[in-house]
Amino acid sequence: MKEHYNEEPYIEVSCIEESNMANESRRKFLRGLSFLVGGTVATALVSGNSLAVAMEHSLKPVIVGSDLLSDGKIFPLSQLKQLKDICAIVIPKTDTLGAAEVNTHGFIDNQLFHCYGKAKQTKIKQLLILINDVAKKNFSRSFTELSQDQQFKLLTELDQGKANFDKKQRADFKALKQLICFGYYTSEVGASQELRYLAVPGGYKGSIPYKGSDANWGSQGLYY
Amino acid sequence: MTENLYINNTKEVYDAIVIGSGISGGWAAKEFCERGLKTLMIERGRVVEHRKDYIGENKAPWQQPLRTKVDNLLVKEQHQIQQQCYAFTDATKHFFGNDKDLPYTTEKGTNFTWIRANQLGGKSLLWHRQSYRLGEYDFNANKSDGFGNDWPIRSQDIEKWYSHVEKHAGISGSLDNLENLPDGEFLPPFEMNSPEKALQAKFAELYPQRPLIMGRTAHLTKPTKLHLSQGRVKCQARNECHAGCSFGGYFSTQSSTLPAAAATNNLHIAPNSVVHSLIYDEKTNRVKGVRVIDNDDLTEREYFAKVVFVCASTIGSTQILMNSTSKKFPNGIANSSGVLGHYLMDHNYNAGASGDIEGFEDEIDRGRRPTGLMMPNFYYKPDASRNFLRGYALAGSAYREGWQSLQHQDGLGADYKNKLKQAGKWRFGLYAQGEMLPRFENQMRFHPTLKDKWGMPQIEFDCQFSDNETNMMIDAAQQAEKMLKAVGLKNVSSQVMNGPPGLAIHELGTARMGRDPKNSILNAYNQSHDIPNLFVTDGASFCSSAVQNPSLTFMALTVRAVDYCVKEMNAKRI
Repeated sequence: MKEHYNEEPYIEVSCIEESNMANESRRKFLRGLSFLVGGTVATALVSGNSLAVAMEHSLKPVIVGSDLLSDGKIFPLSQLKQLKDICAIVIPKTDTLGAAEVNTHGFIDNQLFHCYGKAKQTKIKQLLILINDVAKKNFSRSFTELSQDQQFKLLTELDQGKANFDKKQRADFKALKQLICFGYYTSEVGASQELRYLAVPGGYKGSIPYKGSDANWGSQGLYY
Repeated sequence: MTENLYINNTKEVYDAIVIGSGISGGWAAKEFCERGLKTLMIERGRVVEHRKDYIGENKAPWQQPLRTKVDNLLVKEQHQIQQQCYAFTDATKHFFGNDKDLPYTTEKGTNFTWIRANQLGGKSLLWHRQSYRLGEYDFNANKSDGFGNDWPIRSQDIEKWYSHVEKHAGISGSLDNLENLPDGEFLPPFEMNSPEKALQAKFAELYPQRPLIMGRTAHLTKPTKLHLSQGRVKCQARNECHAGCSFGGYFSTQSSTLPAAAATNNLHIAPNSVVHSLIYDEKTNRVKGVRVIDNDDLTEREYFAKVVFVCASTIGSTQILMNSTSKKFPNGIANSSGVLGHYLMDHNYNAGASGDIEGFEDEIDRGRRPTGLMMPNFYYKPDASRNFLRGYALAGSAYREGWQSLQHQDGLGADYKNKLKQAGKWRFGLYAQGEMLPRFENQMRFHPTLKDKWGMPQIEFDCQFSDNETNMMIDAAQQAEKMLKAVGLKNVSSQVMNGPPGLAIHELGTARMGRDPKNSILNAYNQSHDIPNLFVTDGASFCSSAVQNPSLTFMALTVRAVDYCVKEMNAKRI
């Protein structure tokens, strides 16, 4: 085992962080691991164990511009479409994809169903109804039929609790924004393209240069 | 490695039985095996193989179906209690117990959170890895203020055993030369980031008696040949430890003690074996072995040995002793004193303060350091002017805010997205870890009627923090706030909370050591006063909680007890 070790065994591993191709990171994780722990152990590792199985399991592709054709687990199709538009307004496509392109609306539907209770589900549903009602009242059209500028203006009022909206509604929207942010920044695009993802940092450095235009770390270990 | 490491039925009379495979059990097995004793390690749960069974390891959040969260239904059915632990996530949930099978009750008006990790490796897979020696003032604390019984040992009795376990386990830390937090055999400490270095300097200037040091942690910052020979390499700073670590970057039974024990060919492991009780021979006044209920099919079997080490966790060990009754010991084996189950302790995390650090905008740290900083207990010397006994340590680290903090601001669209992309301001906090006094009334006992699925009487906890702990937390919040303001933090706020004991997962006491057999269960070598071939070496044996994370002391007490036990066996006294 010793011959596989030198004082700087992290060179191989550290190239992981340079890659934003996060579905490669697991493969590289194993490659790095075999470099670090030596051939015998690595062979044992790759034979019929969970890491190897996980590697075989190809990641589901990010759903880009997915056609919304059916109801979700929580939301009917019409509300999923509305939620998709809200995702696009809160975190739009810039030089990286936005929340709608990575199916954050689908994520929220799924997450609310599996990880939240009825109260929260109802709160978000009612918020979507409220948004649609205000759109109809002010523009005589449903939210999804508004122009992006109109959607942006309406949601900004909601975000600030102004005009048609009160404090409680504002708080409910902040809760929805939290779901959107969680969905986006834990997605592959959000965590590894918009932000920087280090699967295996190789060690801890207390200080590296940072300028305001740099992306923050999107990798947070187990705790998101 | 032994041909068949795992066994089920056997007639063999082992030299030693070790109940439990966590931090204490792993060390006991290693030390017995290395001294040439045929050893049977008994584990109530399933086998978890190093690397192979770390099924949550190195999965990015988007590779997890619920992005690190756990399904409501699963939590509701199996993990209502366990999910309270900070380390309970989708990547770790399989290392926590199923609450449905592990019921317990609490005395009316009290609460206790009991976190369970019933598998090979136990909580050594899930621990927080902070590793500190107890100091002379800690061993002297009970004697000094008269609260609790006197520890039958002092620093000089245990220091060489601390060294022994530190070298093998690999503890990183700095040599700080402090009066009541002895230095150890350290690997290099983790780095501080720049704001932390600045705070450390500021504290040294304003509070020379309250140094801020790097947390001492069981991670390989620079592995030695010994660690490499265990199949372990440098910690990669993923801070995903609780999912298991294939690098062996942190100490666990799987990464460190088990390979060493197995390499001797003296080890057998009986998994899925829930110890029901100890088999006691009244004629010889010896424990002969253990009665086991199969974890899966509930059938009974027995294992035999010349000595028995109970290392089943503080609550687990005492539960076994309490359930081992005989004519001579109607209230639990080795309990002639009547204190078994009493003096239950935990640590108190109910206070803290935090604030913003100005500056350092042009730098950030890199990697996920698996430890924070520590301000060791500065109240280790008794002082009647305080309105509480004992003291607390403070822990914290400096970090730049990310999207989790920044998301709450107003805003939408590209501007909002861009703000969340960038690192926010630096933050720093200090959070208390307070000593809990040993009190007779804080106890675990058997529920009069309820049993679990293996037929073990259920535990009923009757354990509360007292005014002493509450006053201590009020002081901790005040001191932390005052100090953070003094060293220049902005927007400092502090809080005192009211969480019940248990969730620090530092359960201690209930089968304490002591000089007097009339008021303690174990002697200075963790040996039963009543029965010479019975030892308890985990947290149950503690006389006081001190403020330090206790696991390193479990290790040192265990190896010291094995050394003593083998010498006594060789001298035919056991």
